[in-house]
Amino acid sequence: MTFLEKQSDPTSFMHWRGDMQADYLYTNGVAGNRFFAHLKKKDTFLASRCPQCKKVFMPPRMFCEDCFCDIPDKAWIEVPARGTVRVWTVATINAHGKKLKEPKVIALIDIDKTDSAMLGIIKTKNPDKDLFGQKVKAVLRPKKKREGTLKDILYFE
Amino acid sequence: MNKVCVIGVGHTDFNSMTPDMEWKEFMYEACQKAYVDAGIDPRKDVDSFITCAEDYYEGFGIFDEFVPDQIGATLRPCGTVCGDGIHGLGNAFMQIKTGLMDIVAIEAHSKVSDLLTFGDVVLFAFDPVFERPISGPVERPNFAGSPSYTKKAPKPLIGSSKETERIHPYFLAGLEMQHYLRKTGTTEEQCAKVVVKNKKNAFRNPYADYEARIRVEDVMESEYMFKPVKSLDIAPTVDGAVCIVLASHKKAKELGVDPIYLSGFGYCSETPWLSTRGMDAGYAKVAAKMAYKMAGIKKPRKEIDIVEVDDKFSYKELQHLESLGLARSGEAAELLEEGELDVKGSLPTNTSGGLLGVGNCLEATGLQKSLEIVTQLRGHAGKRQVPDCEVGLAQSWRGIPTGTGAVAIFTREGR
Ligand SMILES: [Zn+2]
Repeated sequence: MTFLEKQSDPTSFMHWRGDMQADYLYTNGVAGNRFFAHLKKKDTFLASRCPQCKKVFMPPRMFCEDCFCDIPDKAWIEVPARGTVRVWTVATINAHGKKLKEPKVIALIDIDKTDSAMLGIIKTKNPDKDLFGQKVKAVLRPKKKREGTLKDILYFE
Repeated sequence: MNKVCVIGVGHTDFNSMTPDMEWKEFMYEACQKAYVDAGIDPRKDVDSFITCAEDYYEGFGIFDEFVPDQIGATLRPCGTVCGDGIHGLGNAFMQIKTGLMDIVAIEAHSKVSDLLTFGDVVLFAFDPVFERPISGPVERPNFAGSPSYTKKAPKPLIGSSKETERIHPYFLAGLEMQHYLRKTGTTEEQCAKVVVKNKKNAFRNPYADYEARIRVEDVMESEYMFKPVKSLDIAPTVDGAVCIVLASHKKAKELGVDPIYLSGFGYCSETPWLSTRGMDAGYAKVAAKMAYKMAGIKKPRKEIDIVEVDDKFSYKELQHLESLGLARSGEAAELLEEGELDVKGSLPTNTSGGLLGVGNCLEATGLQKSLEIVTQLRGHAGKRQVPDCEVGLAQSWRGIPTGTGAVAIFTREGR
């Protein structure tokens, strides 16, 4: 068939339907625990700097992926919760392939004073605006309500 | 050292869904065809069997346990590579090089139409602590009954808790495409031309499922899904199975087949961390370097006659050609517009129709691409045959959100 749209709903044929009970508890790890414990109390991010190549990782890590060496406690630093938009996209489709109620702007943000980037939702009234190079800062949940997960970072603006 | 030859290939038809066949029957068909093509009996002649599969795509735990019967491998050496088909080819290549095995069969498939929540399974491949929550509500009620968890799904901190508000993982392609366009000066129109070319090529490939006569405007007017990625920039998923049989040169001669040689392969993975990973398909560059060295290729652009590169998204074809050293940064789109990537051009690319024309067959991508190269080098490609091709390259990428790729070099003459 030479149509762009094809029948792709196999449920219209005889079948057995199953799903996976696959629930997990993901440990944050030593570095992750420190990062989130810090984020619960402060409005900054915690990063770690490789003693050999000086690369700054945010989220922080216990070892450098380039040098394959330990990153000691004294090499941890506090960095501002802000950065510069490297690339951004407007997502209009949900995980099931259907339309999202509202388009969402997601960016990869180079975090200041680090060699790392972070994915962030950008809150903007104009999703078509060119965000390249824009300075953005993280908006965190009110301190009392923070739970020590990535969701404490509500969005960037 | 042993030279490694392709002595048989087999494949099913590729379709957007395959409700009439179970996945085992489907794999059996591809393998049976490959064994007949090679003129061998798998129960006697094949020394080792390899499938390439990822449990969550398949819908099984420990999928490798479900493999032996439908590929002729019960009570025989058999294993699964959790990776793309070219990773499987590489494993088979090494088994033959050691002299331990004479004939090895490699199978890879996609029965993605059985997977009702593809987007969610792909999201499952994101870092659960630092990346996955970005997509929106990902928490579910705890069904396992652990007392430390509630029976209700936790309330989200922002936005809706509805599953329908979870963003599709392909947003990563939107980010990377924007980077590629900005860095190379390539335009969205030029990427649209990749779609037009590949869907047109697919008309001449009998097993391709997404052939279409479309214009650049059709692609440009298709809906933005992850700007700048539009709906027609995305290779739709497809079901299909491919089996390739490799043998040592000596064995191929004994069997009296006219072989195509697997003269080199390479593979590598970038860091999984999006925070520090490059956006320029470095995985393809490193894998190609390894494969070129093995195959003795010094000037890839001059020496390679035909290529099949991963085009799960239109821009990926151009990006991969550049990473493979077949075009300078920003040059791939020029080659495309000059017609050099056409079947009749100087660097025929994705003559099979690519994934945009055949369909995205997940872990079978590398074998589908290898199948096309072998078919072309054998001179069996019919109306899409590239004349005088001696050296071909197949490249795969494991798709969003991976930074893993593999390259295989096939040649008419042994090296
Ligand atoms: Zn380092």
